[in-house]
Amino acid sequence: MSELLSKGELIGARYEIRRKIGEGGMQFVYEAHDILTKRLVALKTPKNKSATKRFKRSAIVAARVNHPNVAKTLDYIKVGGQRFLIEELIKGDDLAEALLQETRFIDPYLAAKVFHHLAKGVAAAHHAGVIHRDLKPSNVMVAGGYSLKELKITDFGIAKLASDELEEAAVGGSATLSMSQTAVGALPYMAPEAIDTPKEVTVAADIWSLGAMMYHLICGEAPYGTGLRAVRSILAAERPSIPMFLTANPQFAPLAREVINIALSCLMRDPVDRPTADELVTMCSQLCYTSSHRRRGVIRRIFDHGKFGFIGTESGDVFFHMECVYGTMNLNEGDAVLFSSYDGGGAPRALPVIKLNMAQS
Amino acid sequence: MVLPERYEIVGEPLDGGMGTVFHCKDKVLERSVALKIIHDTTEPRRMRDELAALLKMRSKHVVQVYDILEVARNELAIVQEFIDGRDLFDDRTAPHSTEEFYKQLWQIAVGLSDIHALGVIHRDIKPNNMKMDAEGIIKIFDFGLARDEGHSASTLGFVGTRGFAAPELYDNEVSFTAAVDTYAFGVTALYLATRSLPDSLKNNHLKPYGAIHIDDKYSPGFVQRSSKTYIKCDGKNYFSDVPFNMHHEVKDILESCINCPPTCRPKISAVRDILAKHLLFNRHRALVVYKGQPSYLDANNRSVSLTLNSMGHVEIQYDGLDFRAANVLGDVYVNNMQFNSGDILPGSCVVALGTPAQGNLRKYITFDLAHPEIVL
Repeated sequence: MSELLSKGELIGARYEIRRKIGEGGMQFVYEAHDILTKRLVALKTPKNKSATKRFKRSAIVAARVNHPNVAKTLDYIKVGGQRFLIEELIKGDDLAEALLQETRFIDPYLAAKVFHHLAKGVAAAHHAGVIHRDLKPSNVMVAGGYSLKELKITDFGIAKLASDELEEAAVGGSATLSMSQTAVGALPYMAPEAIDTPKEVTVAADIWSLGAMMYHLICGEAPYGTGLRAVRSILAAERPSIPMFLTANPQFAPLAREVINIALSCLMRDPVDRPTADELVTMCSQLCYTSSHRRRGVIRRIFDHGKFGFIGTESGDVFFHMECVYGTMNLNEGDAVLFSSYDGGGAPRALPVIKLNMAQS
Repeated sequence: MVLPERYEIVGEPLDGGMGTVFHCKDKVLERSVALKIIHDTTEPRRMRDELAALLKMRSKHVVQVYDILEVARNELAIVQEFIDGRDLFDDRTAPHSTEEFYKQLWQIAVGLSDIHALGVIHRDIKPNNMKMDAEGIIKIFDFGLARDEGHSASTLGFVGTRGFAAPELYDNEVSFTAAVDTYAFGVTALYLATRSLPDSLKNNHLKPYGAIHIDDKYSPGFVQRSSKTYIKCDGKNYFSDVPFNMHHEVKDILESCINCPPTCRPKISAVRDILAKHLLFNRHRALVVYKGQPSYLDANNRSVSLTLNSMGHVEIQYDGLDFRAANVLGDVYVNNMQFNSGDILPGSCVVALGTPAQGNLRKYITFDLAHPEIVL
């Protein structure tokens, strides 16, 4: 319904459209230049009538939360019949684009860091009495990619729309639902009660979604699958199984176990059995992980029957041992990898090493 | 002054460092904002440039600027986030433990480092210009925007807070640097710990001429002197009586912030890093894997002894900050580098006992060092 904005267009006499940077089920997102304050901002505008309905409410709800892990609401304007929300611009990608594009899952160190920051943002929202209702990877923005410099939750309360649509779908049958990108995108992370009794969701629904998102990041797939088939599994809420690779390597098993156990504690069928956001923050703040910079390289040589090798990078070779490879032991020369490196004699030493492009293989 | 209809003033105006601050309600987004009116914009373009820098800033520990409004000729208004909390001058925010004290200082140092990274100097750092929000996050606000560097400072006179203002700020001729913030940070640290300032800091400044805005809170005993003398770096240890169990490394760097010559003060980012290091005291953990068996070294289990017959021996000891080698005998290599007593383990490494020439007879133990992340 809503027309696409074009480059150079001036909104509200101050926001100059630079380019479209995103499109969700509900809204278009543009990068715009605020000519008054000379800064780049994110400008969001609802896509259709049903989105417009809750757009302002969403802006007001988000504006109440003030935390480094929540995208800051800067302005809200109405021009003619169209509404625009101005938010701080996060130079990066959403969680799925940033962390699940080149790898199918992330290592436990990075997972612990993501979990910690997400829990902080959700806790701040809950303290302000705000339920997000639609936590999913596309509503989390990440700057710095695998090196994770910043993480911010966005699109509060738009949420409500998704459950409205599911409600409509419940009445109208699955055909309606299959039409809705929003509901389908949110579904794998939706709490049982958000599907069952959407009008009665509490903050605990956000905790479930957080757990489901973390499960996906750690294990490489959503805990109850995707698509409509997920509905039955989510409602049953049986404890999802844990892939072998998580605990197969003693170098990573202890932290992987700690992180996945926290995620699983969020996936309890009964909302009261889930931890609160504050409890999650406490648990995450006790996790020990490194936040070192992640680099890219290509396996150059493997020696000693696959026990160790060297990663070629622009700044020289980095030594790695197969025991420091997470996820798969099956590395070959020519494979692209992601790693952090530490000082070493002859060459720096890498840990963890993760094979890239597993998503495609 | 005409405010856009969107903003409704609630409550009495407050006088800030360089303008009047109104607590307003933004009727569109239904939230509280702090609207700061800057009356005297003698150099509006410079002001806008400086504000543009603030608008670009995204620091966890600096108050967020939402918008700038022109409310009258030569009158700008800055729309800022309203922090519902107490400032750090309020005794109810006083730290109760060394860790709390470190946490407060670290947050301020992070905010100040972020400000300096943009080439901006705050110029009025003091406990009243920092607030703790409901989430326990400290934010710096009230930038001394109206004051210009260089000669124009003399026309404006001294605007600052006695006790917190660096000695060079009293000198008309000197253009100041980011070191004035470092100085004020050091004094703020002292105030946060002791809830008062020693007379020597409050009184021994010199103001040769020009108008003085006296902030009575801190300067009851101010005495104007006739000669241009600054406090000396006389080795006075302001932090020796601080009621916290501070590590000497932290004490030393805080002490050096109050050094008289600006060039003798550390960069605030260095202060930040030292504080971060000590915030993690006793909270590091090393995962030790030998023959596929994981175990931990941490504050509860501080040392491990590794021995391989006559080939090599080393003890790895955790001192609360680092994992160090002790009693090295024979051949011990870390990440392929010869390892000696006193050396510190790098973040992630393999300890090898025996020389490379001993090949398969060598033993390898991996250490993976980590610590909780400070997320506030």
